[in-house]
Amino acid sequence: MPKTDERLDLRDAVSLDRPWITIVWDDPVNLMSYVSYVFRSYFGVSAEQAERLMLQVHNNGKAVVATGNREAMERHVEAMHGYGLWATLAKADS
Amino acid sequence: MQFERAGAGSEGAGSEGAGSEGAGSESAGTVSAQFEHVEIGLLRLAASQLIDLLEAAETHALGTSDDPALRRLLPDAYTDDPAAAAEFRRFTADDLLERKVRNARCVLASLGEEPLDEIADEPGDAELSAAAAAEQPVTIALDPDDVQSWLRTLTDLRLTLAERLEIGPDGVPRLSDDEAPFLHDVYDWFGMVQESLVYAIDV
Repeated sequence: MPKTDERLDLRDAVSLDRPWITIVWDDPVNLMSYVSYVFRSYFGVSAEQAERLMLQVHNNGKAVVATGNREAMERHVEAMHGYGLWATLAKADS
Repeated sequence: MQFERAGAGSEGAGSEGAGSEGAGSESAGTVSAQFEHVEIGLLRLAASQLIDLLEAAETHALGTSDDPALRRLLPDAYTDDPAAAAEFRRFTADDLLERKVRNARCVLASLGEEPLDEIADEPGDAELSAAAAAEQPVTIALDPDDVQSWLRTLTDLRLTLAERLEIGPDGVPRLSDDEAPFLHDVYDWFGMVQESLVYAIDV
């Protein structure tokens, strides 16, 4: 009888571990130079990486800028809103 | 108007004597630019209006606010989960609004005191020299904290103006009333100021 519970627990654990992502969306307002700067200064990525992410946002309409647990992604989204960037979080596979 | 690092382009500073000693460490990260009085007035007015808008916002109702500018300043954190978006807003909106207000106040503070508009019976020396001073550009110096406030406030101002101008996803404004050309000039100018700041702090 504990078997079912174990399986449920396992599934729960898997779903809890499923990483979340922070997405930054393109908007017509924010300057490319500023978006690059935000990625560089907040996420601490290299200038090249920041430029690549910024262009991804610009050309594809969005980019995944971080992956991790839900709390961390919520902190990132809040920080992005502080910078005035349009950011959301979601489960990695949704 | 162009922001530059303090000490940039002044190789001779070290030879100017006692006045310049320690400038390298004390003014590290400081940038400055010259502004016309009309530009300072514009920034002051815009930052004050932004503060009014933010302070009037009711955080609990932001998700359903009629004001697209407020909805854009504090967007939904979840695209397809309204309950989670509301919960996120409940925990973050007050802080975010407070920080945005603080940034705008910092911008106001770095612009200096509002000039007193004294009216004299007859134009005296003081008034004439004040009029002459009004034509001189003013140097605005920003430390690293000020710069962060300026960058964020300029963004918030542009986001707000973009909603007023009804700028679509293509970047083209839909608004075409009498005010639109002026608002668009201001929008572009804020962008210039911001970009100049980004380049100035970016080594």
